[in-house]
Amino acid sequence: MSRPAVAPGAQIAGLAHAPPAAVDLPPSIAIHDLTMRFGAGTAGAVLAVDNVSLSLAPGEFVSLVGPSGCGKTTILNLLTGLLKDEAEGDVRVLGKPPHEGNPDIAYMLARDSLLPWRTALDNAAFGMEVRGLPKRERDSRARDLLQQVGLGDFADKFPKALSHGMRQRCALARTFALDSPVLLMDEPFGALDAQTKLTLEDLLMQLWSAHRKTVVFVTHDLAEAIALSDRVIVMSARPGRIVADVPIDLPRPRDVRKLQTDHRFHDLYARLWRLLEQGASAHD
Amino acid sequence: MIKPFRITLGHVVFIVALVALWEFLGARGVIDPTFAGRPSGIASYLWRGFITDRNLWNDLSYTIAAAAIAFVGGSLTAILAGLLFTMLPGLHRACEPYLSLLNAMPRIALVPLFLLWFGLGIGSKIAVAISLTFFIVLAATVAGIRGVNSDHLVLSRALGASPGQIFFKVTLPSAVPVIFSGLRLGLVYALLGVVGAELIAAEHGLGQVLAYLQSTFDMDGVMALLLLLALLGLSITVAMNWLEKKLLVWQ
Repeated sequence: MSRPAVAPGAQIAGLAHAPPAAVDLPPSIAIHDLTMRFGAGTAGAVLAVDNVSLSLAPGEFVSLVGPSGCGKTTILNLLTGLLKDEAEGDVRVLGKPPHEGNPDIAYMLARDSLLPWRTALDNAAFGMEVRGLPKRERDSRARDLLQQVGLGDFADKFPKALSHGMRQRCALARTFALDSPVLLMDEPFGALDAQTKLTLEDLLMQLWSAHRKTVVFVTHDLAEAIALSDRVIVMSARPGRIVADVPIDLPRPRDVRKLQTDHRFHDLYARLWRLLEQGASAHD
Repeated sequence: MIKPFRITLGHVVFIVALVALWEFLGARGVIDPTFAGRPSGIASYLWRGFITDRNLWNDLSYTIAAAAIAFVGGSLTAILAGLLFTMLPGLHRACEPYLSLLNAMPRIALVPLFLLWFGLGIGSKIAVAISLTFFIVLAATVAGIRGVNSDHLVLSRALGASPGQIFFKVTLPSAVPVIFSGLRLGLVYALLGVVGAELIAAEHGLGQVLAYLQSTFDMDGVMALLLLLALLGLSITVAMNWLEKKLLVWQ
């Protein structure tokens, strides 16, 4: 299997809006020869991630796609430092090895995981609260972010009163309210209906353009990966290997809805789909 | 859609009719007042007890005070024990068989023992009530804390929350609704324990009055006491519902 070279400078052609300086900066995320076995040393050891190397330039938006069980979430959990199992290889986030509670990282899950006893405002402020920001500052920032995600009038509502889409908007506000330069997203829109999903993808693009974070976006939805990313990393079924590293050269800023009818979008989709199929059948 | 006012009116009409029928059949001897009492007799017993002789106030306050003390004491120790057990799962595992044994026992059987230990005063009925309330609230506390949403924990850890922050900002608030339903049940059982103990032996209290009335065949009084206890239980439930609504607006 050929593994594409992962020189960050070569692959940010799609980052038309990024400052040129970004090319010269050290990578935000650098993964070298990562191999991960669950239950290592036992008879039932499972090879989850096999020799993965990956590098993200600052401000780059990269999606990991692949069949379930390909190790996408494992890679995210390694980056957050939540996964304590021994991994071979080297993982760096802003030059540092991963550790739990790293303030450089903001994290978003598939389910909104809003705290039901907190209002939208207090949920949006939750991340800042655990990181010890003073109340006045976090409240004004949370209000500002709620405004940006279109929930300005819902600051005092409890999550129960919000729709699924609104709850995930609130989760976006909570995530972007943190000044962490790295954002890890684990299928954040996986539980939404198709229309709401497009709206939130658009919203994510706006927030990302405004906040300039390095994003690792895990998804099994190819269309979503193409619409959002600078690069799409295609992974194979377990053990997770990188099958392809495809730059997405669609111009930015992008309109996710308009992209749905763009032929370049569909060409990329067809190409990535074939790669994904190859990856899925590679071990059959 | 029937209007709430009409529903209330319906209940009032039904109860008045039932009471009138009971009174009428009692007067005609169809329902024997010796065994069932009569509404007029029940009313006059309550009038004497609360207005003219005023003897029931004292017993009522003993029962309420005992239930309240048992509820507060039992719940607080149960919540603290629950927190301790969730922090030290090993301790919980070690204590579990003994707690199960105590909890499986019909607690009212402890009354004779507690009477010997604590006497006829308020102490023994409080002890019985605590023995009921404690286990209910303990089980609810442990279940509530164990039931915390794992997504919330993962997210909090990933965002850098300390164990203390996670406990006070995530685990504990998420356990409150479950603990609260335990408290609601615990309060009802505290009343049960107190009245049960009083029925067997006590100086004061509604249960003691009830036992006395039964032994002197004062059926109007027995019925009046049953009515009183039902109303007491009902007001506990109503008060707890109100408190829950205030406390858990987010639900």
